[in-house]
Formats: sequence, structure tokens, C-alpha cells
Amino acid sequence: MSTTTGLGQSPYSVQVGVPAAVLKAKKVRRRLDLTLWEKLYVAEIVRGLVITSKHFFINMLGFIFPPAGKKRKVFTVYYPEEKLTLPSAYRGRPVLVAHADGSEKCVACGLCEKMCPAHAISIVAAEKAPGERYPARYTLDLGRCVYCGYCEEVCPKEAIVMSDEYQGLAQGDRNLLRFQKEQLLRPEGKVKTRLYFVRRIYSKWNY
Amino acid sequence: MLADLIESLAKIVFIFTVNVGVFAPILGWVERKQSAVMQDRIGANRADILGFTAIGLFHSLADAVKLLTKEDFVPANANKFFHTLAPFIALVPAISAFAIIPFGGRYELFGREINLVIADLDVGILYVFALAGLATYGTVLAGWSSRSNWSLLGGLRASAQMLSYEVAMGLSIIGIIIVYGSLRLTDIGAAQENFFRWGIFLQPVGFIIYMTCAIAENKRIPFDIPEAESELVAGYFTEYSGMKFVMFWMAEFLEMVTISAIVTTLFFGAWHIPFVTDAMLLSWFSGFAGPNGAAALAMAVNIAVFFAKVSFFIWLQMTIRWTLPRFRYDQVMRMCWKMLLPLSLINLSITGLVVLLL
Repeated sequence: MSTTTGLGQSPYSVQVGVPAAVLKAKKVRRRLDLTLWEKLYVAEIVRGLVITSKHFFINMLGFIFPPAGKKRKVFTVYYPEEKLTLPSAYRGRPVLVAHADGSEKCVACGLCEKMCPAHAISIVAAEKAPGERYPARYTLDLGRCVYCGYCEEVCPKEAIVMSDEYQGLAQGDRNLLRFQKEQLLRPEGKVKTRLYFVRRIYSKWNY
Repeated sequence: MLADLIESLAKIVFIFTVNVGVFAPILGWVERKQSAVMQDRIGANRADILGFTAIGLFHSLADAVKLLTKEDFVPANANKFFHTLAPFIALVPAISAFAIIPFGGRYELFGREINLVIADLDVGILYVFALAGLATYGTVLAGWSSRSNWSLLGGLRASAQMLSYEVAMGLSIIGIIIVYGSLRLTDIGAAQENFFRWGIFLQPVGFIIYMTCAIAENKRIPFDIPEAESELVAGYFTEYSGMKFVMFWMAEFLEMVTISAIVTTLFFGAWHIPFVTDAMLLSWFSGFAGPNGAAALAMAVNIAVFFAKVSFFIWLQMTIRWTLPRFRYDQVMRMCWKMLLPLSLINLSITGLVVLLL
């Protein structure tokens, strides 16, 4: 399926679900009575040992001589040194989107504040010019946030989106989790993939 | 006299260093790392000294520091004397069983005959069984003196399991004793100079039974019902912490080394390389090293071969531990009394008959 995403971009298409070829189930033998050979157990132990030691030697070889192009065969991520690129569906810390000049897109309509099930957002609105509102203060308490993404869904201006930031969400002091507007502002380029994703999933619902 | 003393001391120091200094700490690391590699993980690699991680080897060091500085806890109402005594009874047999295992042959060095075994006892293998019997007391005492239900259940299970498996283990070795005609391990080792006279070819069933029983004696995973993490927390050493806990842990690893050494000695040609006799080795080295140098080199090669084989069997035990699930308690008992014991008796009678007829 594909939908147009606006912003002068080419249609953004994504495959939904697992291809049928991958889903071919292996035939599992479910028989409770064992043959004599299996009851002797020694041969079955050897079979198990062959499987585990095959993994052992292949992985050992991979550790000692890493295959070309790939760093290693084991897929564990060495976390602080390596980080995963998260999918755009990941809901990390909500951030405010900034215009190119650095000012926030938010117009302080208060919908996100109203919608937030955890009462994590509090906005103090002000006017820049007559009829042009902006949030004088925008406080997001990440100690309360449940990362549901309703704020992003309800926002008419695409001014708040869930980013892929997941670090610094645990603090010793709860006051450190109260994020102000200045800490939350991100340039639009940084959250672009999430913006496309949001448009795609919510356009499906015919708002 | 003095030379004898120095020789014995040197051998004791060597074995003690290899076992307690090298095998015991490194096996803790090997266990974690090997299981990780077998399960497509990475394993311990975070402890570092000045940025060097040495593929996780410093975790042993960190573990040692942590466990040595931990509180030595004795539960209320526990019998303090036996609670303290139990880990010693568990550890001492594990260390001293290595005394009779030959880690090399006999060498003529500077006019002295050097026999690479700490105590060349004529009762040989029986000494190991005696010590294995003692090790049971450590486990049972630990379980009883802790005043904990988990420990007591673990101790009960351990006593039943270890006493049962000792029978089958003893009988599985008698085949080897009949074949080689000696209890002395140096004789058994020397008799396996010919590759086709290795114990594994003469007593394959004995090897399987011995290996099974030895793992059961050591209470490692397919037979770890005395510890049974998911059932009994940690079984007989639930209530132990700090240094006493380390002693149980070290006893397990040292027993593993001892089992590997006994399997190597009895079934896999001890210190011999396949198709290479001691005389061949000496003649190769004496070409460029002289008679004393040749003996020293042959000694080094034989010790290296012996410990290489031991390392292989440690690897095998680790692999078995990380491959098989735990047996149920009744399965363990049934396997011992209804399968291994009759099997070892049949093996023994057939061996005796064949030796008598030949």
C-alpha cells in the first residue's frame, strides 16, 4: 500500500506484514512414543552436542576471523558503543518541531494538554502579534509521560512528534525530567521520517 | 633425600598452580564465555583495567574481589561449626584427588628418575573413589547445617544421588582395571603407549558409564538436582556467601578438572600422543638437545599433551552442561539403578570373560 505524504515528496510506500514465502512452517513431529534408538539416549545426546558445538565453532571462527564486510556473526549490539537505528514507528521522547528560523511551530492551542492522559503537558500561552499565539512556556513532565503519542496525533500543526530519543529518560531527580520548551525544540530535519510516518498512519483513518 | 623433597615439592607446587591458580579462576570465565558463544551471544566482556578487557578475563578477577569482600553470612539457628566446616570438606577432596594422577611419564634427567606424579600409590584409582566419598559429606553437611528447607532438600538429594552413582562409577572402572591389570594410574597410563590399546577402544561402554556417573557425582547440569536453581534456589549452598560460596564453586570446577584428568588417564592414553611412543619422542629430541635436554623436552611435550586432553574433556563437560536439560529426580535414580548399574555389571562380566578366555 502507498499513500502520498505531501511536502512535495514522492509517494512513500511500505510493505505491510511478512511475505508469505517466509512464513512456511516447518513440519514438527509430535510423537510421544520414542523409538528404541531414542530411548538409548546416548545417540540423541551426541546429536544435541553436535548442534551446540556447531554453533560454538562457527561463532568462535566468526570471533577470531570476522567475516569480510560484516563485523561478526553474533548479532548482539554492544550498546553504549553501538546503537540501533530505530524504526520510525518507535515512540521515544516527544519533542517540539522548530521552524527553520528556530522558532517553534506550536501555536499553543492546548489540544495536546487537553488530550494528554497523564497530564504531562502544561502550556502557558502568549501572543506574539495580535491573533498570533505562541507558547510562552511549554513544560513536558517526562516523569508522567506514558509515551502514548496522543499529543502527536491530536496536534493540528505537526508541532509535537514522538522522536527516537530514548536516552536520559531516567534521572535521580524528578525535577530533571521536567523538560522546558528550549530543551524540547528540534529542527524539522531531525524528525522528518517520523513526520512522514505520522501522516501516513493518520491519513488512513480519514480525519 | 633433599632432592626427593624438592622434586615432590616442585610437583605439588606445579599441580597446585595449574589447578587452583589457572583452572579454577579461568573455568568460571570459560563457563560464561563458552555458553555465550554456543548460544550466539557475546558473553562477559565489560570488566576492564585501563580500557583493556582481555576478552572478559578480568571478570574472574572482579568476581574474586567481590566474593572475598562480601559478608560471610551464617543463618540464625544454623550450626555454625558444621556450616563453616562443610565447604572445606567439599574443597579438600577436590584438590587432593589430583595427587595420584600422572601428568607425564618417567624421565631420566641428570641421573635422576623423575616420575611425574605426586604420589604413586599402588591403590591408585581407589584413592579417588575414597575422596569422592568424602566429598559427599561436604555437600550433605552443608545442606543439613544451614537450617534452611532448600538446603536440606538439596543435601538429601545430593546424598541419595552421589551415593547411588558411586556404585555404578566404581563398577565402570573395574573393567579398565581388569584389562590393564593394575590399580596404579602410572601403570595404566604407561600401558596405553600403543594407540590401539587406549582405554576408549578396550572399554567404550565403561567410558560412557564413567563419564555419566562422574558428571552426576560432580552435580553438574543434566544431574544438578541437588542445586536445581529453578526448584531449590541453589540447593545445598543456598545459605552460603562470600569465601565459603567460592569454595563450593571452586570444588565443582576442580572436580571437573579431576574428572577430565581421570578420563584422560584411564581412557584416552594419558600423556601419550597417538602413534608416538616415548622412545620415539626421546630419539627425535636427542638429535639436537642431548640426553638431558631431550628428556626435558619430552617431559614438556607430554605435560602439554596431557593438559590439552584435559582441556578437551573440560570443554566436553561444559558443552554437555549447556546442551542438556536437567533430569527429573526419579529419572536420575532410575537411570542409575536400572540402567547404569546393570550395564556396568554386564560390561564387567563380558570384560572378565574375554580377558579370561584370551
